[in-house]
Amino acid sequence: MKLLKELYAYREMIISLVRKDLRGRYKGSVLGFLWTFINPLLQLMVYTIVFSVILRAGIDKFYLFLFVALVPWIFFSSAVTGGATSILSQQDMVKKIYFPRQVLPISYVTSSFVNMLLCFLVIFGVLIVTGYGINFVALLYLPIVMIVEYILAMGIGLLSAALTVYFRDLEYILGIVTMAWMYLTPIMYSVDMVPEKFVPIFNLNPMTPIIVVYRDILYYKTIPQISTLLHAFVLGLIVLLLGSIVFSKLQRNFVEEL
Amino acid sequence: MKQDNVIEVKNVKKKFKVFYDKGTSLKEKLLFQKRNHYEERWVLKGINLEIKKGEAVGLIGKNGCGKSTTLKLISRIMYPTEGTIEVKGRVSSLLELGAGFHPDMSGRENIYTNASIFGLTRKEINDRLDDIIAFSELEEFIDNPVRTYSSGMYMRLAFSVAINVDADILLIDEILAVGDVSFQTKCFEKLKSIKASGTTIVIVSHSPGQIEQICDRAIWIEDGLIKENGIPKFVGEHYLVAMEEKRLDKIEQEFQEQQSNSEKQEQPFTERQMPAFCIDQATRHGNKKAIITDCRVTDSAGKKCKVFKNGQPLIVEVSIKSQIPDLEVDLAVSISRDDGLYCYGHTIYREKNYLINLNQQCNIKFTITDLILLTGKYFINLGVYSSESEEYDVIWSVTDFQVMSPQDGEVGIFRIPHQWSY
Repeated sequence: MKLLKELYAYREMIISLVRKDLRGRYKGSVLGFLWTFINPLLQLMVYTIVFSVILRAGIDKFYLFLFVALVPWIFFSSAVTGGATSILSQQDMVKKIYFPRQVLPISYVTSSFVNMLLCFLVIFGVLIVTGYGINFVALLYLPIVMIVEYILAMGIGLLSAALTVYFRDLEYILGIVTMAWMYLTPIMYSVDMVPEKFVPIFNLNPMTPIIVVYRDILYYKTIPQISTLLHAFVLGLIVLLLGSIVFSKLQRNFVEEL
Repeated sequence: MKQDNVIEVKNVKKKFKVFYDKGTSLKEKLLFQKRNHYEERWVLKGINLEIKKGEAVGLIGKNGCGKSTTLKLISRIMYPTEGTIEVKGRVSSLLELGAGFHPDMSGRENIYTNASIFGLTRKEINDRLDDIIAFSELEEFIDNPVRTYSSGMYMRLAFSVAINVDADILLIDEILAVGDVSFQTKCFEKLKSIKASGTTIVIVSHSPGQIEQICDRAIWIEDGLIKENGIPKFVGEHYLVAMEEKRLDKIEQEFQEQQSNSEKQEQPFTERQMPAFCIDQATRHGNKKAIITDCRVTDSAGKKCKVFKNGQPLIVEVSIKSQIPDLEVDLAVSISRDDGLYCYGHTIYREKNYLINLNQQCNIKFTITDLILLTGKYFINLGVYSSESEEYDVIWSVTDFQVMSPQDGEVGIFRIPHQWSY
């Protein structure tokens, strides 16, 4: 509780770190901030070409099927891998100044989140321009699932940030883990393709229900099942709780470990 | 916590693990388990501190004594191994200036970033923005990217932010060397006004002078324990004397070692080689018909001493010898300040019309009954001449001593006897 109050007091720091990160990301390049939009657009073009011309997947508009799941996934995986180095990369600051250490992973995850929101502008643009269309009632659920994913990513981000300080290999291990994790999450395929006996295991993966909901809303244009959303929310909350407890415990010795 | 205390440190101990060769990756942890051996070192061995609201406290001590660690514990950058620390109010630490500065962003934008790290909200920063810019004297450059700033400008901006945070407690670690002299003076003035407005200040320094200027109380930390806690002037003096004693002990030790070494191997006496009673800066010339064999600076009790108070007696004891029988020599003793200023000098022949007969080793005492020099570092120069000023042995900066002048505000070289009438 005290921590939340303190984090609220440091909200300006979070905001300015997010701003710095977003603005600094493409600093120096000619197109600058435009890359935030060009990047996903080009990615989408590549998928369209690959999956509708060369590798036909048997799923209608596979590039959209893939893309509405891939954008949330990229946010999640960058929160995990980038969150891991959020403390390490700012170690000079951590060693010299007091601020709630949670600020660093929080702002990293938040800036990745904002980046995802900007990518969604591209998704909406494509959905409208191609005439695929949007179900506006279903769209009301989109902010909810985004927040649920944000909670989950925050939990994992806190966890990986704190652990990486003590165990630097985690940074690289997490790169492999997220890649494997991506294939274990129904991003390239639909959850129906998963063999019956593996379904319970898939449901333990907190990203599975989240991706299912995103796809329901944007690809199938249907209202997602509340139970799926709730399932994702509960898993996210557990992870966040775990992440913040572990972080609070481990942060006491950060300075000595850095 | 007591009513008017803002910082309470109770029996705080801090242990560091000192790794010989630390492995942080999995491979290193598994393969080189031997390397993970570490030594535990107690940096703080039980510190008790109470600091009241509005107090300015200085922590002094030599490198590695634990003073910076104490400051880090108060600022919550680190946590104590044992004991408790309670702090009331917003803490601003000037441990690292310019944290989070982004070189590509303008000075103005960086003020926002940097101030936000101290926990200020946007509204609070807006309120202070003008003060910060005015204090930094960077009005014309404030919208230029920080990478175009000189390092002095950079520090000025950073200091202005840190000092305008309006914290309840301000922690400062050896950073009053910001910008040019006029800006430094301004920082000092600002610190004084911050103090006057009721902010608690804790400063870490190894220069007691700085602490005397601002603090009401000085705490001398040695080997992780508080050695003395009291009026800055006295604590500072004791600290300086102790440091000097320690240094002298070391010199003495080295001297003894050197002597036992030189006994083993006869060293040829050359121009370059300085005898042990000389300090490193000493320079020597002369035809060596007579040589100075020792020089001691002592107090009135005959104890070898390096630090003198203004007004105390100071005695220079010089030993001279010569190979030539019945050589008669003159001895000159003079004092110069460490900046090269020649303060005073005279010779025994010209003053007393006396020539020293060097039939055997001869000891001469030059007694200053009342040392009227002001605070500073001084050197003793010696010269052995013939009555016709032939240079036998001349040593510049044979040895040095420090003077501490008890009166504040005196300037110049020495105290000219004077009176005020009013």
